[in-house]
Amino acid sequence: MGRFLKKEGHKDFLGRLKEHAELIAPVTRDLTRFEVIKDINDINLKGKNPFFPIKKYFLPNQENLLHIRKGLTKAVKEHSDKRIIFGARLCDINALSVLDKLFLNSDYPDQSYKQRRENTIIVGVNCITPPSEYCFCGSMDLKKESYDLLLHENENDYYIDVLTKKGEELVKYLPEEESDFPLPRTDKKLEEKNLELYFDNQYWENDSNLCVSCQRCTTLCPSCFCFDVHDSVNSATKNGERIRTIDSCHSKDFTQVAGGHVFRDTRLKRYRHRVLHKIQFFKEKFGRSMCTGCGRCIEYCHSKIDFVKTINENFT
Amino acid sequence: MIYEAKKYKIKDVWPETSDNFLFKIKTRINPQPGQFVEVSIPGIGEAPISGASYNKHELDLNVRVVGNVTNALINLKKGDKVHLRGPYGHGYPMGDFKGQDLILIGGGCGVAPLRGIIEFIDKHRMDYGEIHLFFGFRTPEDVLFKEEMDKWSSKYHLNLSVDKTEGSNPFNCPVGFVTEILKKAELPTHNSVIMICGPPIMMDKTIVILESKGFNDKQIWVSLERHMKCSNGKCGHCMVNGKYVCIDGPVFRYDEVKGIDE
Ligand code: SF4
Ligand code: SF4
Ligand code: FES
Repeated sequence: MGRFLKKEGHKDFLGRLKEHAELIAPVTRDLTRFEVIKDINDINLKGKNPFFPIKKYFLPNQENLLHIRKGLTKAVKEHSDKRIIFGARLCDINALSVLDKLFLNSDYPDQSYKQRRENTIIVGVNCITPPSEYCFCGSMDLKKESYDLLLHENENDYYIDVLTKKGEELVKYLPEEESDFPLPRTDKKLEEKNLELYFDNQYWENDSNLCVSCQRCTTLCPSCFCFDVHDSVNSATKNGERIRTIDSCHSKDFTQVAGGHVFRDTRLKRYRHRVLHKIQFFKEKFGRSMCTGCGRCIEYCHSKIDFVKTINENFT
Repeated sequence: MIYEAKKYKIKDVWPETSDNFLFKIKTRINPQPGQFVEVSIPGIGEAPISGASYNKHELDLNVRVVGNVTNALINLKKGDKVHLRGPYGHGYPMGDFKGQDLILIGGGCGVAPLRGIIEFIDKHRMDYGEIHLFFGFRTPEDVLFKEEMDKWSSKYHLNLSVDKTEGSNPFNCPVGFVTEILKKAELPTHNSVIMICGPPIMMDKTIVILESKGFNDKQIWVSLERHMKCSNGKCGHCMVNGKYVCIDGPVFRYDEVKGIDE
């Protein structure tokens, strides 16, 4: 079931969100990015998808896993801050489904991630027209999932798709009506190919020769969150933290083992590993692509390396 | 909390070689053969280390000095504490091997996890047929578990070898790569299972020899090495061609990982 919101009720709706919890939404300054909203008039849904995806609200770039006190470990406290993220698009939202598979894995659920997921309400917006020519989500089998509410803009109103009770609470003042909405369509599309056949393809190397290992691709990807774990303590007091920091499979020491050996010792191997993980390995294991087609890793790549183009045009 | 490590007492610790130390830790953490634990000293960091024993009350870990954490570990003494979490990963499916002959092939500190299998076999001796051990070390000084070699050779078919000697050969063992010893050995190719643990080149060479002897890939089990940072399938550090060494492995049947490249 869904609800309808009249265009003129839009501000009132945002005001209600802001009153309910800390509101985070896209704001355009030098770049468009998600930030905590003080004035709802700052929110900008037009234009580009925010530069940084929403993953940072669930998996900060750096976070304490454990406190270290006098050489002993101590649990970190619960994350209980409630927030609403407004204006995320389906690529970033579907990327949460990907991260859920890893971080809510039933054998090893990650507490901090779980708490933040539970404490955050996602009010997404559907893309009528893709915000960038690099978007190819239209070919990535996105699902209507992992949000609480999703706004689809019609000519005179918004249809609000309601998936959860938490979402329902926020819109129950609006008229209820069943409706439907189309998923975003994109001109750019990733063709489905059996990539195993192209493992030794020359084009991996051609692409990776342009790579400078800047790691923008993995930093900006909404579903990439490989990390490193290390301890940081004050040598005098022995107090400090066991810290997780975002890492990248594009860094050379990512596969280094004790003793110094590096398994993926070339840019070719690292680039190919990233792309295959995003669109093949994860899918084999979890039944969905890890890549949601947001296009950021292409648009903002230092060398504009376009794996979609390579796969479509050169793997024949 | 999945990252929480608990502290345990070191019951004993001694040097096995100049850069390998055996730690006996009082804990109920009992990795199945092939599984590993994350060992840590808060403030220094964590390191994944395979279990080298099979015992419900104490855990043996062979610590090879290769990095920050292991360097700090060897400064600990009997009575000190270490932090552990685990066990992690899939070990050898020992239950499936019942009734078969077992061939264990280890190189260097790869012999440590095989020691865990031997202790398992000791406790379940009736379940298995002949046991063949092929253990290769660089020099006689590098031989691990020296004290136990006699015991093992009395119970099992032990083939100990060293790559070279710089003087005496106290074990009176063949000198040459373990792969050379293996080449000459008579081995049961039927109803047998092979478990290999050692450096990548040694494993590759070993498999070539085994295949030429008529073993098939489904009889061979290998243990892969990666730097496991999380050990719970999240950090990505251990991934090889879509497989997580930490949770899908570290032990794999060879046909599952054969020919994989990264
Ligand atoms: S791999 Fe690239 S296109 Fe796909 S979700 Fe990540 S950043 Fe977006
Ligand atoms: S953004 Fe481009 S250049 Fe930078 S690491 Fe990724 S592929 Fe390489
Ligand atoms: S060690 Fe982190 S995913 Fe395997």
